[in-house]
Amino acid sequence: MIIEDRYRRNKKTITDEDQQTLANSSVAIVGCGGLGGHIAEQLARLGVGKLVLIDGDRFEVSNLNRQIMATEHNLGQWKVEAAQERLKIVNSEVRVDAIKNWFQEDTGPELLRGVNLVCDALDSREARVMLERVCHQMNLPLVYASIAGWYGQLGVSLPGDFSVQWLFGRGDKGVEKTWGTPAFTPGVLASLSVAEAIKILTGHPPSLRNAWLQVDLLTMEFERFEIK
Amino acid sequence: MRITVKLFATFRDGRFKVREFDFPEGTCILDVIQPLNITFDEIAICYRNGKDAKSDTVLDDGDTLALFPPVGGG
Repeated sequence: MIIEDRYRRNKKTITDEDQQTLANSSVAIVGCGGLGGHIAEQLARLGVGKLVLIDGDRFEVSNLNRQIMATEHNLGQWKVEAAQERLKIVNSEVRVDAIKNWFQEDTGPELLRGVNLVCDALDSREARVMLERVCHQMNLPLVYASIAGWYGQLGVSLPGDFSVQWLFGRGDKGVEKTWGTPAFTPGVLASLSVAEAIKILTGHPPSLRNAWLQVDLLTMEFERFEIK
Repeated sequence: MRITVKLFATFRDGRFKVREFDFPEGTCILDVIQPLNITFDEIAICYRNGKDAKSDTVLDDGDTLALFPPVGGG
Protein backbone atom coordinates (compact mmCIF):
# COMPACT_ATOMS: atom_id res chain seq x y z
CA MET A 1 0.00 0.00 0.00
CA ILE A 2 1.52 3.31 -1.09
CA ILE A 3 0.35 5.97 1.33
CA GLU A 4 1.04 9.52 0.30
CA ASP A 5 2.27 11.64 3.17
CA ARG A 6 3.62 8.59 4.98
CA TYR A 7 7.01 10.23 5.36
CA ARG A 8 5.76 13.81 5.75
CA ARG A 9 6.94 14.06 9.35
CA ASN A 10 10.45 12.95 8.44
CA LYS A 11 11.14 16.35 6.87
CA LYS A 12 13.42 18.15 6.90
CA THR A 13 15.50 15.69 8.84
CA ILE A 14 15.23 13.27 5.91
CA THR A 15 14.93 15.09 2.58
CA ASP A 16 12.91 13.77 -0.39
CA GLU A 17 16.17 12.71 -1.99
CA ASP A 18 17.31 10.90 1.17
CA GLN A 19 13.90 9.25 1.44
CA GLN A 20 14.29 7.93 -2.09
CA THR A 21 17.78 6.68 -1.25
CA LEU A 22 16.36 4.82 1.76
CA ALA A 23 13.65 3.27 -0.42
CA ASN A 24 16.39 1.93 -2.69
CA SER A 25 18.47 0.65 0.23
CA SER A 26 18.76 -2.76 1.84
CA VAL A 27 19.83 -3.45 5.42
CA ALA A 28 20.59 -6.77 7.10
CA ILE A 29 19.78 -7.00 10.81
CA VAL A 30 21.65 -9.86 12.41
CA GLY A 31 19.81 -10.89 15.55
CA CYS A 32 16.12 -10.21 15.96
CA GLY A 33 15.82 -9.95 19.75
CA GLY A 34 15.85 -6.87 21.97
CA LEU A 35 18.01 -4.68 19.75
CA GLY A 36 17.14 -6.24 16.38
CA GLY A 37 13.37 -5.97 16.84
CA HIS A 38 13.52 -2.24 17.60
CA ILE A 39 16.03 -1.65 14.79
CA ALA A 40 13.79 -3.47 12.29
CA GLU A 41 10.71 -1.56 13.44
CA GLN A 42 12.42 1.81 13.02
CA LEU A 43 14.07 1.03 9.69
CA ALA A 44 10.69 -0.13 8.34
CA ARG A 45 8.97 3.05 9.55
CA LEU A 46 11.79 5.08 8.01
CA GLY A 47 11.09 3.39 4.67
CA VAL A 48 14.27 1.40 4.07
CA GLY A 49 13.27 -0.59 0.97
CA LYS A 50 14.46 -4.02 2.00
CA LEU A 51 15.27 -5.60 5.34
CA VAL A 52 16.95 -8.96 5.78
CA LEU A 53 16.25 -10.30 9.29
CA ILE A 54 18.49 -13.12 10.46
CA ASP A 55 17.80 -15.09 13.65
CA GLY A 56 17.53 -18.81 14.36
CA ASP A 57 15.47 -18.45 17.52
CA ARG A 58 11.79 -18.61 18.47
CA PHE A 59 10.01 -16.37 20.96
CA GLU A 60 9.77 -17.49 24.56
CA VAL A 61 8.20 -15.99 27.68
CA SER A 62 11.43 -14.35 28.87
CA ASN A 63 11.54 -12.25 25.68
CA LEU A 64 8.32 -10.38 26.54
CA ASN A 65 10.07 -7.93 28.88
CA ARG A 66 11.92 -6.18 26.06
CA GLN A 67 11.54 -7.63 22.56
CA ILE A 68 9.09 -5.44 20.67
CA MET A 69 8.12 -8.19 18.20
CA ALA A 70 7.24 -10.64 21.00
CA THR A 71 3.63 -10.84 22.19
CA GLU A 72 1.69 -13.28 24.33
CA HIS A 73 0.14 -14.55 21.10
CA ASN A 74 3.28 -15.43 19.19
CA LEU A 75 5.32 -17.35 21.77
CA GLY A 76 6.97 -20.28 20.01
CA GLN A 77 6.95 -18.52 16.65
CA TRP A 78 10.17 -17.82 14.75
CA LYS A 79 11.30 -14.32 15.72
CA VAL A 80 12.02 -13.26 12.15
CA GLU A 81 8.65 -14.57 10.96
CA ALA A 82 6.77 -12.66 13.68
CA ALA A 83 8.75 -9.54 12.79
CA GLN A 84 7.96 -10.00 9.11
CA GLU A 85 4.22 -10.20 9.88
CA ARG A 86 4.28 -7.10 12.05
CA LEU A 87 6.37 -5.03 9.63
CA LYS A 88 4.05 -5.94 6.78
CA ILE A 89 1.23 -4.07 8.52
CA VAL A 90 3.51 -1.24 9.63
CA ASN A 91 4.88 -0.50 6.16
CA SER A 92 3.87 -2.73 3.27
CA GLU A 93 6.22 -0.82 0.95
CA VAL A 94 9.14 -2.52 2.71
CA ARG A 95 10.23 -5.98 1.60
CA VAL A 96 11.23 -8.13 4.56
CA ASP A 97 13.25 -11.33 4.10
CA ALA A 98 13.07 -13.61 7.13
CA ILE A 99 16.06 -15.95 7.55
CA LYS A 100 15.24 -18.58 10.17
CA ASN A 101 18.83 -19.46 10.87
CA TRP A 102 21.88 -18.33 12.83
CA PHE A 103 24.40 -16.17 11.05
CA GLN A 104 27.46 -18.28 10.29
CA GLU A 105 30.78 -17.47 8.74
CA ASP A 106 30.42 -19.90 5.82
CA THR A 107 26.79 -19.20 4.89
CA GLY A 108 26.67 -15.57 6.08
CA PRO A 109 28.12 -13.91 2.97
CA GLU A 110 25.28 -15.26 0.81
CA LEU A 111 22.71 -13.71 3.18
CA LEU A 112 24.43 -10.32 3.04
CA ARG A 113 24.72 -10.26 -0.75
CA GLY A 114 23.20 -7.06 -2.12
CA VAL A 115 22.69 -5.27 1.20
CA ASN A 116 24.12 -1.78 1.73
CA LEU A 117 24.65 -1.96 5.48
CA VAL A 118 24.57 -4.44 8.36
CA CYS A 119 23.27 -3.91 11.90
CA ASP A 120 24.82 -6.08 14.57
CA ALA A 121 22.09 -6.96 17.07
CA LEU A 122 23.65 -10.21 18.25
CA ASP A 123 23.96 -11.36 21.85
CA SER A 124 27.31 -13.11 21.79
CA ARG A 125 30.65 -11.35 21.70
CA GLU A 126 32.29 -14.09 19.63
CA ALA A 127 29.52 -13.93 17.02
CA ARG A 128 29.89 -10.15 16.80
CA VAL A 129 33.58 -10.45 16.00
CA MET A 130 32.83 -13.03 13.33
CA LEU A 131 30.09 -10.84 11.80
CA GLU A 132 32.51 -7.93 11.55
CA ARG A 133 35.03 -10.16 9.79
CA VAL A 134 32.42 -11.17 7.21
CA CYS A 135 31.26 -7.55 6.74
CA HIS A 136 34.80 -6.37 6.13
CA GLN A 137 35.41 -9.18 3.63
CA MET A 138 32.29 -8.02 1.78
CA ASN A 139 33.21 -4.33 2.05
CA LEU A 140 30.05 -3.58 4.06
CA PRO A 141 29.60 -0.94 6.76
CA LEU A 142 28.56 -2.29 10.15
CA VAL A 143 26.70 -0.56 12.97
CA TYR A 144 27.13 -2.47 16.24
CA ALA A 145 25.45 -2.15 19.61
CA SER A 146 25.49 -4.21 22.78
CA ILE A 147 23.56 -4.04 26.02
CA ALA A 148 23.59 -5.25 29.63
CA GLY A 149 21.46 -3.92 32.47
CA TRP A 150 21.46 -0.10 32.43
CA TYR A 151 24.40 -0.02 30.07
CA GLY A 152 25.25 -0.17 26.40
CA GLN A 153 27.97 0.34 23.85
CA LEU A 154 27.60 1.45 20.27
CA GLY A 155 29.76 2.26 17.29
CA VAL A 156 30.39 1.98 13.55
CA SER A 157 32.95 -0.26 11.89
CA LEU A 158 33.84 0.48 8.30
CA PRO A 159 35.87 -2.04 6.26
CA GLY A 160 39.32 -2.41 7.74
CA ASP A 161 38.51 -0.74 11.07
CA PHE A 162 38.06 -3.91 13.16
CA SER A 163 36.50 -1.88 15.96
CA VAL A 164 34.30 -4.80 17.05
CA GLN A 165 37.30 -7.11 17.33
CA TRP A 166 38.98 -4.44 19.42
CA LEU A 167 35.99 -3.76 21.66
CA PHE A 168 34.60 -7.27 22.09
CA GLY A 169 37.68 -9.43 21.58
CA ARG A 170 38.61 -9.58 25.27
CA GLY A 171 37.22 -10.10 28.73
CA ASP A 172 35.09 -12.78 30.33
CA LYS A 173 31.51 -13.45 29.35
CA GLY A 174 29.42 -10.31 29.13
CA VAL A 175 27.92 -8.86 32.31
CA GLU A 176 24.42 -9.20 30.77
CA LYS A 177 24.45 -12.78 32.10
CA THR A 178 24.00 -11.40 35.62
CA TRP A 179 22.41 -8.00 34.90
CA GLY A 180 19.88 -9.03 32.28
CA THR A 181 18.37 -6.63 29.76
CA PRO A 182 15.33 -4.51 30.74
CA ALA A 183 13.12 -2.92 28.06
CA PHE A 184 14.59 0.59 28.02
CA THR A 185 18.18 -0.37 27.24
CA PRO A 186 17.60 -2.12 23.87
CA GLY A 187 15.15 0.67 22.95
CA VAL A 188 17.79 3.35 23.45
CA LEU A 189 20.69 1.49 21.86
CA ALA A 190 18.57 0.40 18.88
CA SER A 191 17.52 4.01 18.26
CA LEU A 192 21.14 5.16 18.38
CA SER A 193 22.09 2.37 15.96
CA VAL A 194 19.37 3.41 13.53
CA ALA A 195 20.48 7.07 13.64
CA GLU A 196 24.00 6.01 12.64
CA ALA A 197 22.65 3.61 10.00
CA ILE A 198 20.51 6.30 8.36
CA LYS A 199 23.47 8.65 8.12
CA ILE A 200 25.58 6.02 6.39
CA LEU A 201 22.77 5.01 4.00
CA THR A 202 22.14 8.61 2.97
CA GLY A 203 25.81 9.40 2.44
CA HIS A 204 26.49 11.37 5.59
CA PRO A 205 29.53 10.53 7.71
CA PRO A 206 28.72 8.40 10.78
CA SER A 207 29.61 9.97 14.13
CA LEU A 208 31.06 6.90 15.83
CA ARG A 209 33.76 5.61 13.50
CA ASN A 210 36.93 4.54 15.36
CA ALA A 211 35.09 5.40 18.54
CA TRP A 212 32.36 4.02 20.72
CA LEU A 213 29.58 5.55 22.75
CA GLN A 214 29.42 4.33 26.34
CA VAL A 215 25.82 4.60 27.49
CA ASP A 216 24.87 4.60 31.16
CA LEU A 217 21.13 4.95 31.72
CA LEU A 218 21.51 4.75 35.50
CA THR A 219 23.43 8.04 35.61
CA MET A 220 22.17 9.24 32.18
CA GLU A 221 25.71 9.66 30.91
CA PHE A 222 26.61 9.26 27.26
CA GLU A 223 30.36 9.34 26.82
CA ARG A 224 32.37 8.96 23.62
CA PHE A 225 35.71 7.16 23.63
CA GLU A 226 38.19 6.99 20.79
CA ILE A 227 39.52 3.61 19.75
CA LYS A 228 43.30 3.82 19.76
CA MET B 1 51.85 9.53 43.02
CA ARG B 2 48.24 10.34 42.16
CA ILE B 3 46.28 7.92 40.02
CA THR B 4 42.69 8.58 38.94
CA VAL B 5 40.52 5.52 38.44
CA LYS B 6 37.31 5.74 36.40
CA LEU B 7 34.95 2.78 36.44
CA PHE B 8 32.19 2.18 33.91
CA ALA B 9 28.94 0.22 33.68
CA THR B 10 28.65 -2.62 36.20
CA PHE B 11 32.13 -1.99 37.63
CA ARG B 12 30.53 0.96 39.44
CA ASP B 13 28.21 -1.33 41.38
CA GLY B 14 29.31 -1.29 45.04
CA ARG B 15 32.43 0.71 44.14
CA PHE B 16 32.52 4.23 42.68
CA LYS B 17 32.41 6.20 39.44
CA VAL B 18 35.68 8.08 39.73
CA ARG B 19 38.21 8.26 42.54
CA GLU B 20 41.78 9.44 43.09
CA PHE B 21 44.33 7.20 44.82
CA ASP B 22 47.85 7.60 46.13
CA PHE B 23 50.22 4.84 45.02
CA PRO B 24 54.00 4.43 45.38
CA GLU B 25 56.31 4.82 42.37
CA GLY B 26 56.49 1.68 40.24
CA THR B 27 52.83 0.80 40.70
CA CYS B 28 51.39 -1.15 37.78
CA ILE B 29 47.75 -1.54 36.66
CA LEU B 30 47.41 -4.89 38.43
CA ASP B 31 48.36 -3.22 41.75
CA VAL B 32 45.54 -0.71 41.25
CA ILE B 33 42.75 -3.12 40.34
CA GLN B 34 43.53 -5.79 42.95
CA PRO B 35 42.28 -3.75 45.95
CA LEU B 36 39.12 -3.02 43.92
CA ASN B 37 38.42 -6.75 43.64
CA ILE B 38 38.57 -6.58 39.85
CA THR B 39 40.64 -9.16 37.98
CA PHE B 40 42.21 -8.27 34.66
CA ASP B 41 40.19 -11.05 32.99
CA GLU B 42 36.98 -9.24 33.91
CA ILE B 43 38.07 -6.13 32.01
CA ALA B 44 37.13 -5.79 28.35
CA ILE B 45 38.81 -2.43 27.86
CA CYS B 46 41.60 -1.00 30.00
CA TYR B 47 42.50 2.56 29.08
CA ARG B 48 45.47 4.45 30.49
CA ASN B 49 45.11 8.11 29.50
CA GLY B 50 42.77 7.13 26.65
CA LYS B 51 44.95 4.37 25.22
CA ASP B 52 44.91 0.61 25.51
CA ALA B 53 47.13 -0.69 28.33
CA LYS B 54 48.28 -4.08 29.64
CA SER B 55 48.02 -5.38 33.21
CA ASP B 56 51.75 -4.96 33.89
CA THR B 57 51.94 -1.39 32.56
CA VAL B 58 53.75 0.77 35.12
CA LEU B 59 51.89 3.99 35.84
CA ASP B 60 53.09 7.58 36.08
CA ASP B 61 51.97 10.34 38.41
CA GLY B 62 48.76 11.93 37.13
CA ASP B 63 47.66 8.92 35.04
CA THR B 64 44.00 8.15 34.57
CA LEU B 65 42.78 4.58 34.27
CA ALA B 66 39.39 3.85 32.69
CA LEU B 67 38.04 0.32 33.10
CA PHE B 68 35.11 -1.16 31.16
CA PRO B 69 33.49 -4.58 31.69
CA PRO B 70 32.37 -6.65 28.70
CA VAL B 71 28.86 -5.78 27.54
CA GLY B 72 27.62 -8.28 24.98
CA GLY B 73 23.84 -8.62 25.16
CA GLY B 74 21.40 -7.92 22.36
